[in-house]
Amino acid sequence: MSELLFFAAAFLAGTVAVGLIRILLGPTDADRMMSAQLLGTGGIAALLLLATASGNPAILDVALCVGLLAAFAGVVFFLAASQGGGPDRAEDP
Amino acid sequence: MMPGSMAELLFDSILVLTLLAVALSILALRQAFAAVLAFVTYGLLLAIAWVRLGSVDVALTEAAIGAGVTGVLLIAAASRLRRSIPIADKASPGIPMRIAVGALCATISAALVAAVLHLPTPAPGQALAAVANLPSTGLGNPVTGVLLAYRAIDTLLEAVVLVLVLLGDWSMAPDGQWGGRPGPRLAPEVNGPLGLLVSVLPPVGILIGIHIFWIGADMPGGAFQGGTILGAMWILTWMAGRTAPPHTSSERLRLVLVVGPALFLVAGFAGIVFAEAFLAYPEGWAKPLIIGIEAALTVSIAAALAMLVAGWPSREAPR
Repeated sequence: MSELLFFAAAFLAGTVAVGLIRILLGPTDADRMMSAQLLGTGGIAALLLLATASGNPAILDVALCVGLLAAFAGVVFFLAASQGGGPDRAEDP
Repeated sequence: MMPGSMAELLFDSILVLTLLAVALSILALRQAFAAVLAFVTYGLLLAIAWVRLGSVDVALTEAAIGAGVTGVLLIAAASRLRRSIPIADKASPGIPMRIAVGALCATISAALVAAVLHLPTPAPGQALAAVANLPSTGLGNPVTGVLLAYRAIDTLLEAVVLVLVLLGDWSMAPDGQWGGRPGPRLAPEVNGPLGLLVSVLPPVGILIGIHIFWIGADMPGGAFQGGTILGAMWILTWMAGRTAPPHTSSERLRLVLVVGPALFLVAGFAGIVFAEAFLAYPEGWAKPLIIGIEAALTVSIAAALAMLVAGWPSREAPR
């Protein structure tokens, strides 16, 4: 059973890792932000799988913590962009 | 750690390769915002790596402070600097300098790798002694035992440093704004996604923050991680325009900021009278004292981190 869960976690990690290429390529800052947010979601899922696979409930708290704080980067990005002084939009089409 | 199964090996390999790739891109990226995002990503991956190494306490701290609060501070800073300022500007060093720096870094890395490979097994350390003496503190989590009992002086200094850092930050304010409110004035958002987030997240977040502080006595968790979450929830209500950061001259705010370090100091000096030394706990009183200190620290840390994110006073001081 835990073997299967680890495979699932590995699959998730691989998918998210491919998505991280957007941080390198962009083209806009919003694409980069979404890529980081995807890692937040995928990371929570991987942590939940690890918690069950290794039978350590403390890992659930790490997942909770990531779940609460992952959205903050997006909020700061949004606020900075909407105040105009924010992330550069010159590359936006 | 036991040698893992095939699937564990696969997961760990993907994790390590991604970590290395992200670490390289932090260095290679030439735009501040992209590099900052890569760094935040790196922190989150590092938290998962700490979980795999069995250090859930460290993973929790990394997730809360490394990927959470530091990410917010860095993204805000990168946004303020804008992307028009490339990281490597005119002052990039010449080729001989780069080769010299590269060679030095490679030597240090090689030395570190050699040191890690030559560690004796089991590694020398105080881990066994820390666990063996844990019953005398009444705690179940050896990490909390180290932080609040064996090496309480380090934690006390850390808590004091946080207040000093905040004072340094506030000192950046021009004279006329000293004592004013930090941060920009934000219009309350009611219908947008931020309005929804601020209605849903804080009730859950406050509960989880308190849970993580409370469980720290027996399982991974503690004042720093719990305080970070509580502080983040407070910040969220500012960002959505529902509340405003307090005036930095507010007596109540200042009291909250110092209550943790102050209580820690009082308990420390009481140790000289009632136990044998500074920061020693009397027999049988260790656990209640530690939990009391941690509760006060949680509140102070939450307020200090939130006020650090808000920045120095930038609005008119109260009359």
